[in-house]
Amino acid sequence: MKMRIPILKLKETLIVSIQVELDDQTALQFQEDLLDQLHKTSARGVVIDLTPIDFIDSFIAKVLGDVIHMTSLMGAKVVITGIQPSVAITLIELGIRLENVTTALDLENGLEKLTRELEA
Amino acid sequence: MGHRSSIDINTEWDIVAARQLGRNEAKNTGFGTVDQARITTAISELARNIYLYAGRGRIEIEPITVGQRVGLVIIASDEGPGIADLQKVMTDGYTTSGGLGAGMPGVKRLMDEFRVDTEVGVGTTITATKWLH
Amino acid sequence: MNEVMRNNIFDNIETITTRWVEKMKTNSDERFLDLMPAPVVATMSREFTELMTSNLSDKEQVDKERLDEFTKKIIHFGWSIKFINRAIDTFSSIVYELFFENEILTDKNLRKGVNTIASWINPLRESIIEEYAVKWERTDSLQKIALQELSASLIPVFEKISVMPLVGTIDTERAKLIMENLLEGVVKQRAEVVLLDITGVPVVDTMVAHHIIQAADAVRLVGAKCMLVGIRPEIAQTIVTLGINLTDFSTTSTLRRGMQEALQMTGRTIVEEE
Repeated sequence: MKMRIPILKLKETLIVSIQVELDDQTALQFQEDLLDQLHKTSARGVVIDLTPIDFIDSFIAKVLGDVIHMTSLMGAKVVITGIQPSVAITLIELGIRLENVTTALDLENGLEKLTRELEA
Repeated sequence: MGHRSSIDINTEWDIVAARQLGRNEAKNTGFGTVDQARITTAISELARNIYLYAGRGRIEIEPITVGQRVGLVIIASDEGPGIADLQKVMTDGYTTSGGLGAGMPGVKRLMDEFRVDTEVGVGTTITATKWLH
Repeated sequence: MNEVMRNNIFDNIETITTRWVEKMKTNSDERFLDLMPAPVVATMSREFTELMTSNLSDKEQVDKERLDEFTKKIIHFGWSIKFINRAIDTFSSIVYELFFENEILTDKNLRKGVNTIASWINPLRESIIEEYAVKWERTDSLQKIALQELSASLIPVFEKISVMPLVGTIDTERAKLIMENLLEGVVKQRAEVVLLDITGVPVVDTMVAHHIIQAADAVRLVGAKCMLVGIRPEIAQTIVTLGINLTDFSTTSTLRRGMQEALQMTGRTIVEEE
């Protein structure tokens, strides 16, 4: 039953598009896979696109927050893109602020932001 | 009263099933995307709490009509250990599972009405309602 | 209701109406009738007495249609529930008067007569007040919807920059709507900077500030930046006095300065033509 989230590499950036509803195991597996890839490829940035995701509960939020924290410990930068309005509102009402996260409207915007931040 | 659908929570996969059911029921009741996300998220939190703290239990979802108002009721029930200190559980940031501690107070904020009936050693029933405005 | 009473009322319906208007005008401290043009008063009074006598016919039930029409009108004219209650009281006291004058009520049959009249007037009073309450609630909720529609639209001013002017008091209900409009607008308009203009918000207390901070947080999550503009001196004072922490996002006093900053953030500036 275990699903894997595909992780693509483009130059120095890993690109992840989460297209399916995340169950707990898939989320944890993704965390592990992403860190592995970071280590293997020595990428400097990660863009995680959440456009198709229609809700994020506190567990998935925690996994995401952890991924971001771990990634920065490994010296890379994460940009989260495509959080839907309904998802953002729900997160805020849940009391999850996802502070210190760089966000962008969509994948394209996110890649731009990442490039800018890596150059700075 | 509408029909009541339910999902037994025994494994982690049942959390996914419960929120899928909730999403569909919310859509059928006529809720917009934001409320759909609120309801789905609330169900996910409640189902996970059952799985984490009671091991097994049940999520029931029922569309209701009271006078002119239409809404959706979520009932999360288990025969788990019960909640000893309800006040603590309803505090933001309190967790015994290493989570974010947003679950219970978060669900209360996401829904319009929220009630906890709990007894130590007997179990917990949480009833949460969202009204269609 | 017995035959004699019924006939007496129908025979004297004109008298009842005239007396009712007179009494209401002299008794009432609320000047609803004085404020209305004479022909309207005449129609309303006639309709009122017609309604009050509508359940005297064989069915002895309150005429729903007439009730509906009448309550619609009185709400439209702004009659208060107190006034309506008094109208019914006045009406029944005139009926008593009339019955005494015409010796339909006497000391002998008083007790029975009182019961008969009560069982006629009371259901009417109940239905009128209930209908009034239902209609009033409906009016109230319609007004709420109208108010909601008034509030909060996001205006795309420049590419990547949108403005939402907030006007009026912000309560929890409105705050939710503002948040939804704001976020959906940001995504649809592909705004990178949003200016939330609170020039038109009269009071910023902890609750309003909390809603604004939440909105700004949510805007950040979808990938844009939120600026709070239009902070008047008294608002700055309350914010600091209440200990509200707004340091996490940028604020300016005027929309104009906010716009300049927003242009800067998106790598642009306004230059004067030579």
